[in-house]
Amino acid sequence: MEYVNTVGLRLDGRRPNEIRQLRAEMSTLASADGSATFEMGNTKVLAAVYGPREASNRAQTDTSKATVRCEYSMAAFSSGERRRRGKSDRRATETSLAIANTLEQNILTELLPRTQIDIYVQVLQADGGMRCAAINAAFLALADAGVPMRDSVAACAAGYLDGTALLDLNYTEDGGGGPEVAVALQTGLHQVLMLQTDSKLSMEVFEEVVELASNGCRAVAEFLRTTLLAHVGRLSLATSIAKSEA
Amino acid sequence: MLQSKTFVKKTKRGKILKVVREHYLREDIYSGSPLDPECDPASFKLSPDAQRYIVLDTNVALHQMDFLEHAAVTDVVVPAIVLEEVRARNQSVFQRLKALTASDFKRFYVFANENHKDTYVKQDPGESPNDRNDRAIRRAAEWYSQRMPGKPILLLTDDAGNRTKAIEAGVEAMSCAAYARLREDVPELSDLVSAGLATQAEQREVGGGAGPKKKRRVFEDHKPLSEVTAGIKAGRYHQGTLRVSRFNPWEGYIACQSVEQEILLSGRGALNRAMDGDVVAVELLLEEQWRGPSAHLPTQAELDAADASEGEEEVLGEDGGAHIAQVDPGEHYPGVAGAAGGDDTSAARQPTGRVVGIIKRSWRTRGYCGSLQPPRVPGASHGPGTASVLVCPVERRYPFVRITTRQAATLSDKRIVVAIDAWDTDSLYPTGHYVRTLGAIGDKETETEVLLLENDINTAPFTPAVHACVPPLPWALGEAEAADPARADLRHLPVCSVDPPGCKDIDDALHVRRLAGGNLELGRRIDMLPKPLTEDICSLRSGVDRLAFSAIWEVTPDAQILSTRFTKSIIRSREALTYAEAQARIDDERLTDDVSCNLREMNRLAKILRARRSERGALSLASPEVKFEIDTETHDPLDVGMYQLRDTNQMVEEMMLLANCSVAEATLGAFPACSLLRRHPTPAPRQFEPLLRAAAAAGFAIDASSSKTLAASLDGAVRASDPYFNKLVRIMATRCMTQAVYFNSGELSVPEYHHYGLAAPLYTHFTSPIRRYADVVVHRVLMAALGLAPLPGSMRDRPRVADTVDNLNVRHKNAQLAGRASVELHTLIFFRGRTVVADARVTRVMRVRANGLLVFVPKYGIEGPVHLDDADRAGKEGVSSSAPAAVDSAPGAVPRFVYDEEKQTVSREDGGVAYTIFDTCAVTISVEETAGNRRVLALRLTDRAQLPDGERMG
Amino acid sequence: MTETCTPGQRLGLVTEFEPGAGTYVAGSFVCASLVGIQRTVPVEETADKRLPRLEVSRSTRPDPVPSPGDVVTARITRLTPRLALADILCVGEHPCAQRYSGVVRIQDVRATEIDSVRLPAAFRPGDLIRAEVLSLGDARSYFLTTAKNELGVVYAKSIAAGVPMVPLSWQEMQCPTTQSVESRKVARV
Repeated sequence: MEYVNTVGLRLDGRRPNEIRQLRAEMSTLASADGSATFEMGNTKVLAAVYGPREASNRAQTDTSKATVRCEYSMAAFSSGERRRRGKSDRRATETSLAIANTLEQNILTELLPRTQIDIYVQVLQADGGMRCAAINAAFLALADAGVPMRDSVAACAAGYLDGTALLDLNYTEDGGGGPEVAVALQTGLHQVLMLQTDSKLSMEVFEEVVELASNGCRAVAEFLRTTLLAHVGRLSLATSIAKSEA
Repeated sequence: MLQSKTFVKKTKRGKILKVVREHYLREDIYSGSPLDPECDPASFKLSPDAQRYIVLDTNVALHQMDFLEHAAVTDVVVPAIVLEEVRARNQSVFQRLKALTASDFKRFYVFANENHKDTYVKQDPGESPNDRNDRAIRRAAEWYSQRMPGKPILLLTDDAGNRTKAIEAGVEAMSCAAYARLREDVPELSDLVSAGLATQAEQREVGGGAGPKKKRRVFEDHKPLSEVTAGIKAGRYHQGTLRVSRFNPWEGYIACQSVEQEILLSGRGALNRAMDGDVVAVELLLEEQWRGPSAHLPTQAELDAADASEGEEEVLGEDGGAHIAQVDPGEHYPGVAGAAGGDDTSAARQPTGRVVGIIKRSWRTRGYCGSLQPPRVPGASHGPGTASVLVCPVERRYPFVRITTRQAATLSDKRIVVAIDAWDTDSLYPTGHYVRTLGAIGDKETETEVLLLENDINTAPFTPAVHACVPPLPWALGEAEAADPARADLRHLPVCSVDPPGCKDIDDALHVRRLAGGNLELGRRIDMLPKPLTEDICSLRSGVDRLAFSAIWEVTPDAQILSTRFTKSIIRSREALTYAEAQARIDDERLTDDVSCNLREMNRLAKILRARRSERGALSLASPEVKFEIDTETHDPLDVGMYQLRDTNQMVEEMMLLANCSVAEATLGAFPACSLLRRHPTPAPRQFEPLLRAAAAAGFAIDASSSKTLAASLDGAVRASDPYFNKLVRIMATRCMTQAVYFNSGELSVPEYHHYGLAAPLYTHFTSPIRRYADVVVHRVLMAALGLAPLPGSMRDRPRVADTVDNLNVRHKNAQLAGRASVELHTLIFFRGRTVVADARVTRVMRVRANGLLVFVPKYGIEGPVHLDDADRAGKEGVSSSAPAAVDSAPGAVPRFVYDEEKQTVSREDGGVAYTIFDTCAVTISVEETAGNRRVLALRLTDRAQLPDGERMG
Repeated sequence: MTETCTPGQRLGLVTEFEPGAGTYVAGSFVCASLVGIQRTVPVEETADKRLPRLEVSRSTRPDPVPSPGDVVTARITRLTPRLALADILCVGEHPCAQRYSGVVRIQDVRATEIDSVRLPAAFRPGDLIRAEVLSLGDARSYFLTTAKNELGVVYAKSIAAGVPMVPLSWQEMQCPTTQSVESRKVARV
């Protein structure tokens, strides 16, 4: 398989440093305190946030700050082959922890003692980069829920195939056997919240890939910001209409 | 940055799986021509002055690579879809096409039509993928003509349907052949056009509607692939790789798991257009039709006759006259048929089959070397204009190839390369096309190139990028290197090197030093690279500082190894000696300088090591290595003789083995899963059969149950009267051996690491990094093992190591074959124009056959067949090629020989002469020109008594 | 002037502004912690502090939550002999994003003749009522009351024709099509 062809285009027509098309929608669920769907190309993720609310388990209540919990799962229909994944799916558990850990660092948890914030992330359609899409979706949902946060979070992955660093691998590229590094950044504070990889890679390649992924994060962050602002704009418009009617 | 148009492709896989992929269409894809005002200057590739831009179709790229590679074909637009299709269909063509697109002179521009928003074509419902792709290519051509209205755009395609549609759409379209005709400035372009089916059809069209010639069907159709695979599954057919006899293109074997014995395929019909290396499906014949392999040496005359008659048949077939090119399934070589007839009744029948389908063609993309078949009528030369000629390949195992050329007259005395394009059922021979000319027949450079090409040896020079890595000359030791703490400074040691005379790449240097406490320190340093590297920087020349990698052992006076150490080092060789010089120094007791004493000491140690090794069961084998005295000006061989082995050779060899074994141990210890080692598998017992039989006939018993017993038996096989006998037996034993191979330690279990010949549990190649890539790899691994450098990435993952190892093995084998072929070539050149009689003292019988002997002339390292009947036929001038029947018609004239397999003896019926294996005999050696411009060394038996004194050799 | 901002966005220097709701201090900056509209509250004359306050409020009004004393609009869902269950739809003028359940106990239906109240004669499921929140109630529901003249059924459909009825008195409503009269605790609008 040739992942970057002679003219420097990838299998789906992108150049190595391009991310897929992004789409997002906020407040997609009425019952959740905050919710959002986020799409990176064909990867589509739904996130719902409940809370901050009183901690359900008194024993685990943290008196000094809020507890952030995440449950990540893949819908049975999300990948080409229909597969039911149990709760004990280790990969899902690991991703859940990564998402919770990443976002907890960004939430002003100390303002919300004795509460818990639950983030539910469901992958509706999988085409690579689910972990990053999940973090982006969860960030939007938290913002929608009005949870106080330190900074904007954006996540993006990059890989290395055919001797080229590739941004935002899709499913086919993910199966190419090369290393993949997922990065989540606080884009305003320039802090790395998450950096994960499952493969060994040399120092030089690692640096190149992380640099590319960080650039991807910044592009995603820009998109997330416009999404949030548009959402606010729409809401204030709606309120003003409601007011004028009243 | 990102074009936001998203298309979705849906494809179905085996399990009816919906795959959804994004497909981004972009606006930043340019035409690559300066004529296009919108084109980004960075992507300029096509020349604005080109007569026209050619848009390539897939079928042209797939079949007309030689044509496209011609320097006159430039300014070509390759739509990305074409590249994609080629990649899926034929990897090697893809690589060549990629090389073209990378070239600055050819100006092949890859146009990413699939990702351009204006040229992307969506598959219509009901449209086949092929039609869609054709449409996409036409769309790309259309786009170009719209973009550059002033420039003619030509769609080059061999698909008539595609051409029609293109012309309808207003795009000029042509076939390759038509385009080649258009380019009158380069007449040879027409030759390069592959004679594929499409071209033939076109030729018929062009032929003025004379209607297709009614051609007789010569071969049966191949079964469709689905039927073949079903047949293999059901056990009706058998699959295997075809190996064609070296002497006869119409006889081959396949080995397959489903049948125990090899399957014999005999005759043109049975082979049914399969060629050497093809993966074929074979159907077994009924048992009564089975035949045996011939125990018969094909004579040169027979081969010539066959070759000659080849053309004849073809001509008759071409004429379409009464003579029908009938091919029976069991057809034999015309000459061999009579003699081989008797074999059919013998017990040695074996499964015989016929090819029903070809699963994978292995036609060489690099082409086949050959020469034009001389015209039928003597004296008539190939006229000007287009002619259809047969090319006789250099390798006899390949059939003739029919090509169409305009340069027949100029090519008649040249060696040329042809590529095979197709082989239809109505053609006796495959059709191909001319690729390039190598040079005049018989010329040393040409013939060397032929043998390099035939053995697939890449002779392309190192790229400038590689040269750029080489430090400039004159090179001197850098400060940084000298200061490197990991590098030991051994310049004070009395190191010297021992190599063959004239050797440019000196890669072994040795030293020995007496340590306090009576122990000795033994050292050996080593250091395929570009020329400045091999011949200067890495060459451990005397008197200069060189960087090296040293293996240092501490040994007791009786050569017990106490410790082993590897280190990077700096050395200064005291002297660069040849084997002979070193030997002289050892032998001359008067010399007491450092170097001589060291050599003597080392020699003593080497002898102990050697003795210990043979005790373990290491084999000491022999091979008929020869050396040539080369004329310094013409580079023609002046003399040829056996390579002389001295003690010093063995000394250097012993040190080399010691270093290699130690390194193997060290790397394996550090990296059990990814060390590059070399193993020599234990030969299967049946491989020893020829040796055992020959030895038994000579009255010796050989025990080949283990390498130790074999070594002992070989030592015992001595005839007091015949000092050379033992060597012959050893040569024979060498032939029974399996090939030693490189392997990755992670792939095999530890007992399999064993090196049979050396009786060593571990072995690798470390000592010649200048000329063997394997050693470079081992060096890198050793560096990593010592912690001096990180393990190279290529050694870290298994598939890549496996690739490297496979490539090493293939290249090693090819190099060996080419080496042998080169020796053969030089021998031929040496014997050109002279006839030499090798007498009984120097000629030995190595194998006995029903009608001949295989004799070996150690002095020249020549081994070849001798026909017993030749001796009697000496008076008659060889069988003329035009009368192959003569062989059959007068069998009575040839005295019958009786062959005794048990005793390995062949004797004349009348009891006159008898030859047994290892016997001596006398032969005349001369060079003969045979059909197809092959030169062969002919050996003829000379009656022992008839030898004139003057011609005796001694 | 309103300006929207996102979490982490720097709004001003600590030396110039006081951090208010929806902001936090990071280093020398006042940053937003919410997505919303940024507002500067001017210095209050009486306050000691001299700095204007920066606030970020979520553009969406926080969901109205009923609290004691609020007048709510609710729909009757079920009647039992002792109470009428209702869903609270609006608090004052603001519609609720989520459903709060309320209950009108029999003693809270009207101010007078409390003992003779029959719930079926006061409400029917589907009626829209205006009620006041008495208290946060029990674990499930707010306690509502209609024991005021201006509280009670504001909209009800007739059993016979299913069309909105018109009030006749504070105790009766009439169907305009069938002229049938049904009894309700009617609010005086």
